[in-house]
Amino acid sequence: MVPPKSQCLLIALLAIAALISAFSGRIDAYLLDVALGAGISIVLASSLNLINGFTGQFSLGHAGFMAVGAYTSAMLTTTLAPKLLGQTELLQWVVFPLSLIAGGLLSALVGVAVGAPSLRLKGDYLAIVTLGFGEIIKVILQNLDAVGGARGLTGIHTHTSLFWVFGSATVTVYVVWSLLNSTFGRGFVAVADDEVASEAMGLNTTHYKITAFVVGSFFAGVAGGLYAHLKGYLNPSGFSFDKSIEIVVMVILGGMGRHSGVIVAAVLLTALTEVLRSFGDYRMIVYSLLLIILMLTRPQGLFFWPLKGKKST
Amino acid sequence: MPDTLLDLSNVTIRFGGLTAVSSVSITVREGELVGLIGPNGAGKTTVFNLVTGVYQPTEGSIHLAGSSLAKLKPFQITNLGIARTFQNIRLFPSLTVYDNVRVAFHRHLQNHSLQSLIRSSNFQKEEAKLQARTLELLTLFNLQRVQDEPAKSLSYGDQRRLEILRALATKPRLLLLDEPAAGMNPSEKTELMTLIRFIRDTFGLAILLVEHDMKVVMGICERIHVLEYGRKIAEGTPSAIRADPKVIAAYLGDN
Repeated sequence: MVPPKSQCLLIALLAIAALISAFSGRIDAYLLDVALGAGISIVLASSLNLINGFTGQFSLGHAGFMAVGAYTSAMLTTTLAPKLLGQTELLQWVVFPLSLIAGGLLSALVGVAVGAPSLRLKGDYLAIVTLGFGEIIKVILQNLDAVGGARGLTGIHTHTSLFWVFGSATVTVYVVWSLLNSTFGRGFVAVADDEVASEAMGLNTTHYKITAFVVGSFFAGVAGGLYAHLKGYLNPSGFSFDKSIEIVVMVILGGMGRHSGVIVAAVLLTALTEVLRSFGDYRMIVYSLLLIILMLTRPQGLFFWPLKGKKST
Repeated sequence: MPDTLLDLSNVTIRFGGLTAVSSVSITVREGELVGLIGPNGAGKTTVFNLVTGVYQPTEGSIHLAGSSLAKLKPFQITNLGIARTFQNIRLFPSLTVYDNVRVAFHRHLQNHSLQSLIRSSNFQKEEAKLQARTLELLTLFNLQRVQDEPAKSLSYGDQRRLEILRALATKPRLLLLDEPAAGMNPSEKTELMTLIRFIRDTFGLAILLVEHDMKVVMGICERIHVLEYGRKIAEGTPSAIRADPKVIAAYLGDN
């Protein structure tokens, strides 16, 4: 059996990520850092797009899930793994990816714990619950001495490379895309459109919402792990409400529920904050102004175009 | 006589002090076309919401082909074989016409989330089969010409028909139609009557119809239940209902 086109594309993109990664030594360090940040943004925005964009649940807790993944994977590689293994060769190629997955899984578990009781809430109410959750995670981390408390967690190995970042981004986009492009997956959009009608068509709306939350928070956790091993340092204040908003803006700007639009928006917004550095102290003012202008002129999202039917899956 | 498919016995629902439906018993037999009429606020849509699990009855019981529907969620009841349309159309506006119908096959899906990721040959076979069945249904209602349009861009009449088609995709044994003729002109109503009969005969299902338009109800229903202020005041064939003095007083108007 020939694997479907989408899977060939997935493998090809992973190979390209590996190839570029091999030459990353020649890329300018600053540019590399921006590129890695953009890649992590793609993971964050695409995964939040599943929850906010496609399934229509307004979550403001993505930074919280990211924090769970970041601290989990950082603790695994800095404290647990060296004690068990002792050698560092294995660290980057075996322990690091495993720690990313572990961070994602714990984050997904927290996603269920937060999601299951609160998914009966809609719109603004769910937003408030998830916002509260994100803040709780931040405060817990600030007071947990085992992970450095408010001082932050230092000495994390910088394993994050172009391969891991763009590999993760590719997998995230593939998972969200293929989940959506099936008869089962169209149910996510149906739930977003009309819950009463979805139930009347035999769709278990709770199941769909929890699936979206689990998958979304898993990849937020993975992104957190990548972030931790990119910066080498974690501070709870980095996972505040602002970070969640930043990801939400990427999703809205990309056109809620548009795969490619959200990817472009993630890259664009990451790059934009860098480009605006020349404005110095006024950087965030210009950034915010640009967002206001964009929302006024393109409220449906920068990259929104009318949905055309996709018969093929 | 065919078997009883839907059986409401002495169903009552109260919202606080208001008794919306009071001790109502309604039966629908296999393959039967039954009408449910009554003045505004008589409790017709409430009966639909009780049958589909949106509300739970305060008293009484509802059975589908002998099995109780008590405490089941709407999606579980749909999965037992009851589908409905809504008084004010509830399509999935941002999904295409094609996807609106496709999603409704959910009940018969073998493949779920994980298979969507792996995309095995089984998954692809099932998707291809569903694609064929979706197109078949769309063609039946002549909606394949707009299959790639978002549902919200359809004309009113097409939206009504798409909603019925979407309900049919769940392969129900009982179809509940809530005022399908609302907002239609006389010629569209005539078409609708033909369509409802066609559906019943082609799909071999029972239909319970809430409708205000007497021409439609009297024209296609084999049996009619009449509600007034949440109580059932009459039941019978269209001609018997037309002659019933209680119905005339309550609904058709003293003449």
